[in-house]
Amino acid sequence: MLYLKRFATILALLVTSMIGAQADLDQERILLTFIPNVQFAPFYVGLQHGTFSEVGFDVELEHLQEPEVLDLVAVGQANYGIVSGEQVILARSRGRDVVYVFEWFQQYPVALVHSSELDLSNLEQLRGLKIGIPGRFGASYSGLTTLLNSAGLTESEIELNEIGFNAPEVFCLGAVDAAIVYANNEPLQIRNLTDAGECGDLEDVEVLTVASQVDLVSNGLIVNRSQLEEMPYQIARMVGAFREALRITIDNPAGAYLASLSYVDTLPSDDALITALTEAAARQQAFLADGPSRAEVAGSRRTMLEGLSRQFDGALLAQFHVLLDSIELWDADTLGYSDLVSWEAMRDILALMNLLGDDLGDLGAAFSNEFVSVSDE
Amino acid sequence: MQTTTVSRDFQARQKRQILLRRLCPLLTILLLLLFWQWITDREIISPILVPSPADVFAAFASALADGSLARHTMTTLGEMMYGLLLGVGVGLALGYAIAKAPLLEYVLSPIIVAFQSTPIVAYAPLLIIWFGTGPSSKVVTTAVIVFFPALVNTIVGIRSVSPRLRDLMRSLNAGPGRTFRLLEFPSALPVILAGLKTSTTLAVIGAVVGEFVGSGSGLGVLVIMARSQYNTPLVVVTVLTMTVIALSLYSLVALLEWRFLVWQRRASA
Repeated sequence: MLYLKRFATILALLVTSMIGAQADLDQERILLTFIPNVQFAPFYVGLQHGTFSEVGFDVELEHLQEPEVLDLVAVGQANYGIVSGEQVILARSRGRDVVYVFEWFQQYPVALVHSSELDLSNLEQLRGLKIGIPGRFGASYSGLTTLLNSAGLTESEIELNEIGFNAPEVFCLGAVDAAIVYANNEPLQIRNLTDAGECGDLEDVEVLTVASQVDLVSNGLIVNRSQLEEMPYQIARMVGAFREALRITIDNPAGAYLASLSYVDTLPSDDALITALTEAAARQQAFLADGPSRAEVAGSRRTMLEGLSRQFDGALLAQFHVLLDSIELWDADTLGYSDLVSWEAMRDILALMNLLGDDLGDLGAAFSNEFVSVSDE
Repeated sequence: MQTTTVSRDFQARQKRQILLRRLCPLLTILLLLLFWQWITDREIISPILVPSPADVFAAFASALADGSLARHTMTTLGEMMYGLLLGVGVGLALGYAIAKAPLLEYVLSPIIVAFQSTPIVAYAPLLIIWFGTGPSSKVVTTAVIVFFPALVNTIVGIRSVSPRLRDLMRSLNAGPGRTFRLLEFPSALPVILAGLKTSTTLAVIGAVVGEFVGSGSGLGVLVIMARSQYNTPLVVVTVLTMTVIALSLYSLVALLEWRFLVWQRRASA
């Protein structure tokens, strides 16, 4: 009985201290796009490793469509959101004074997936192809326009099919010759279907990334202008916390995958896989203790995948593979740094698509590296 | 003389009441517009979230002038019409068959109810994969959504035919064809038309859901395009266009009802 009383007292104290600690934190919503997915692993890592709470934030993640994320941040109904740079340029041209403060994706993720039998070493060979695209909007459409522009082609010289977000199925059915996809996701799905013999006569696919042609600004963290002026220190704390979570994810993807399991219901969580990932995460942590270079860490990620691939089939590892491919798009010497050239290239593409008016706006006001240097590694 | 004056007064009062009844919806809309303009003028809600009526009208004029609104509307209307023909056609035929053969209901109802109780948004991507990325998948999406009201109302309509009248038709040696033409169809028509009213309004949803999932043209695509370009006034214009289409089709069926159910009105009178 005495033990029970003691236990109850300790429990009460713990709960009280936890409530107290929670009460000290600033409640913050971060608006994300899409749905809970391993591609948002840095946020899950931030929550699980406490990088947000360490700097005083109790973060809640919410998933919306990109324009909604941007509008809610623009009107101050949320302080932080993740959107692509092109959305920032478009929205600013329509009176939304948002500022991009951390470039999460260092490479534009859109790509063209095609059969390896199709030789696209010369981009002009895109002419006449039947290309699938989610729709004539968003990053996919900008990416396609960039590829066509690099090839000196126009949209009228290809056959464009709006296929929604069904590229793997439509591509494998042979309804299109190539499809605009996200480089870190659909190509893997198509390769898994190919390996399973469920993709027609297709033997392998190749991926032509937009980033290989032009450096376009991609997904990053946005805030609104008044918040930037009134609460720069709060933004610096948030950027710092996210940057740290991103670095942890890049350095130890096995650990990041394990952290994501609590947030992404559909992630494969086979017992053997969890055990293997836990061991891989521990090994990686020991490896990181020696302070390896960025290239060495990248090599260790490949070794990690090779080791896991020997134990598990492609389908089970697909989401881990998505995470590794995503990391390739995020990794950089200075995480979060945004380059004016990539903004100018993006603006030129949007202007080419007639999506901007005559006033192309001040790109310098669209983004800031102020917090990247404050929180630099 | 006094009777004539009273009668004239009564008629004038009736006319005023009819006029008032007709003006009421217009007045409501006008008040709503004024209220909308007022809240946007005072920026009670940010114009980013709710554009002003003036901005919406400007977007409407622009979309009308460049032909984009007409082009996308025609696409959606086409998908809706084919979808309605297919969905309502199958619904009527299957509904009649089920009403006449209850065994068929036991066999088919689990599939039909399961299909209907699943939100169409959930399986619309599959329809795109199965029926292609062209208009056929949107026609099927529309057909699936309009099918159920047509089916259910046909079953209810045919089953509600008075058994005494059926006996009467039998006593007159009327065959199935004559019974259908002279008794079942006219008796079931009010219920069938009520189902058609629901189907027509749902048709817009079906077509737009199909377009949202993957399409090159149509009002659903226009909403996505306008939204991705932060053109909120154009989003409002497109949504209002969908409303107008739904209301117009509903009114068309109501007109058919008024025209074909003249006997019912007379009977009520």
